Amino acid sequence: MSENNVLLRVSNLVKHFPIMRGFIQKQVGAVRAVDSISFDVKRGETLGLVGESGCGKSTTGRSILQLYRPTAGEVLFDGVDLVKTKGEELRKMRRKMQMIFQDPYASLNPRMTVGEIVGEPLLVHHISNEKETNERVKQLLELVNLNPSFATRYPHEFSGGQRQRIGVARALALQPSFIVCDEPISALDVSIQAQVVNLLEELQEKFNLTYLFIAHDLSMVRHISDRVAVMYLGVIVELATRDELYSKPLHPYSQALLSAVPIPDPMAEATRQRTILEGDVPSPANPPSGCRFRTRCPIAEAVCAESRPEFREIKPGHFVACFFAERFL
Amino acid sequence: MPDFILDVQGLETTFKTPDGIIHAVNGVSFGLKEGETIGVVGESGCGKSVTMLSVMGLIPNPPGNVAAGTAKFFGNDLLKMSKDEIRAVRGAQISMVFQDPMTSLNPVLTVGRQLQEPLTLHLGMTKKQAWDRSAELLAMVGIPNPQDRLSDYPHQFSGGMRQRVMIAMALSCSPQVLIADEPTTALDVTIQAQIMDLVKRLRDELGMAIIWITHDLGVVAGLAQRVLVMYGGFIIEEAPVNELYANPSHPYTLGLIGSLPRVDETEHKRLFSIEGLPPMLFEKPNQCPFAPRCKWAIERCWKENPALEPVAPEHRIACWVDVKTGRPR
Repeated sequence: MSENNVLLRVSNLVKHFPIMRGFIQKQVGAVRAVDSISFDVKRGETLGLVGESGCGKSTTGRSILQLYRPTAGEVLFDGVDLVKTKGEELRKMRRKMQMIFQDPYASLNPRMTVGEIVGEPLLVHHISNEKETNERVKQLLELVNLNPSFATRYPHEFSGGQRQRIGVARALALQPSFIVCDEPISALDVSIQAQVVNLLEELQEKFNLTYLFIAHDLSMVRHISDRVAVMYLGVIVELATRDELYSKPLHPYSQALLSAVPIPDPMAEATRQRTILEGDVPSPANPPSGCRFRTRCPIAEAVCAESRPEFREIKPGHFVACFFAERFL
Repeated sequence: MPDFILDVQGLETTFKTPDGIIHAVNGVSFGLKEGETIGVVGESGCGKSVTMLSVMGLIPNPPGNVAAGTAKFFGNDLLKMSKDEIRAVRGAQISMVFQDPMTSLNPVLTVGRQLQEPLTLHLGMTKKQAWDRSAELLAMVGIPNPQDRLSDYPHQFSGGMRQRVMIAMALSCSPQVLIADEPTTALDVTIQAQIMDLVKRLRDELGMAIIWITHDLGVVAGLAQRVLVMYGGFIIEEAPVNELYANPSHPYTLGLIGSLPRVDETEHKRLFSIEGLPPMLFEKPNQCPFAPRCKWAIERCWKENPALEPVAPEHRIACWVDVKTGRPR
């Protein structure tokens, strides 16, 4: 992989949220939401980030965009370390990276018209005057298959799928190169999910967009991603190309996660072997020593409690953090 | 049809709202055999939950009103029972598990107290007997240290554990029918797999019939023997599970199955998407409710609402068109 092919390089990213207690708000601990993760996102690709609730996937997305300032680590975007930039410089960088949020009901201001919502980024960044903005808003709404006359209406007049399109139009307003899609379809009905995913794919082809697609729906991630990273309790346990990961997962957690996804086909369901994990995900405020997954892992040994397995490249392009991954090669 | 233990015919339920009357369920008929598992599939607002709540006498009146129909449980019409009569059935012979285990458990009572309630009420146990039985029930659904956990409050349990408690409570009086309303939707996939595994095991041990309401066609594929697909307050397709997935015959079912990406997908193609939005249900439709979104719609679809008619043994659909040929059937 040549260097200039990499749009985003995340190295040893850490985000801890302090736990405060008592009258003087003394810090008594930290929620280790993201605990040292590293990965690259290539230009024009979609990197899927999957994991269960509370594993840190949304925190990762927000820390990359500097909506949360990371506790440690580097986020190189186009060669610029975002963690060290601030103020006006960071604002300029933000034009190139946008976000689509999970909840289409909470992420649109109910007191603004659709036109104001979609046009706001243009005005905030002083890109166009009011007249030009109105023109551009119309173009953007057409782009996401909404009627341009909707610009004067308010969000409550729209359905979930239409609102999510408005969110997509807003994200596209500044012509970004990188979009973090944070569970953009999980609040939508099945038949509407396909509409939004198809739209995201069309836009990607049209504008050569790069996506970080965060989701817990493994089937949808397989559908949309080029490469997929699996997170568990603040760390990435496996990262590989889509086909590689789904056909030959090497980490016991990825294996269990994939086998837990129901397949809409009774024949396939009847013959499937399931790995059912015991217990629940531990608290990220007090994660297990060594490998984070060892408390639920079917193949854990003593060494797993002692040290944290390195996130290593076991074969070209396939990274895994497990001492025993070779067994599954 | 004497072999149905629950036989619902022509059920209609409406809700009065400030904007008009919502026709949520528009004449639904189905039967449930002893020990059988049926899946009820559809998107939000299709009437799947309201149908079951109507059968259980749990629709608040006003604003709701079960306007027509019968629901015979072993020959006795549940809809005509007095409050006391239906209360003796509910929880004892037919019980329900709801989607959100946090809001369906009482946060200020211990789990033990809540488990005791149906046992003392329906089975006439003493408090001591009920307490011991509660511990057995918790053990049955796989909660470790059941004796100690009985005196814990719901917030001390994780989401998956709470759903186990709900299942224990629902099964406490050995019901003949368990109605499960999206019980795994709020849970992560690995926890969902645990719960599904548990339900299958308990079904085999206890032999109750299950009505499983879900929007996830994958979940149904691995669990149900027969599937009802609902749209706009109607059952639009009914078939044995293998037949439904191999041979979906209603355009909506076809679209729903086509819009799902699969975790075992091998080639990448655009998802089939159903354009448009689900109906608003302000009027009882005199056309096919799916016609506005249907690409096979013919003139007749806009004039008459098709009834559920057999197309194969045990396979019934409500459609004027044969989707294989695109011609009227």
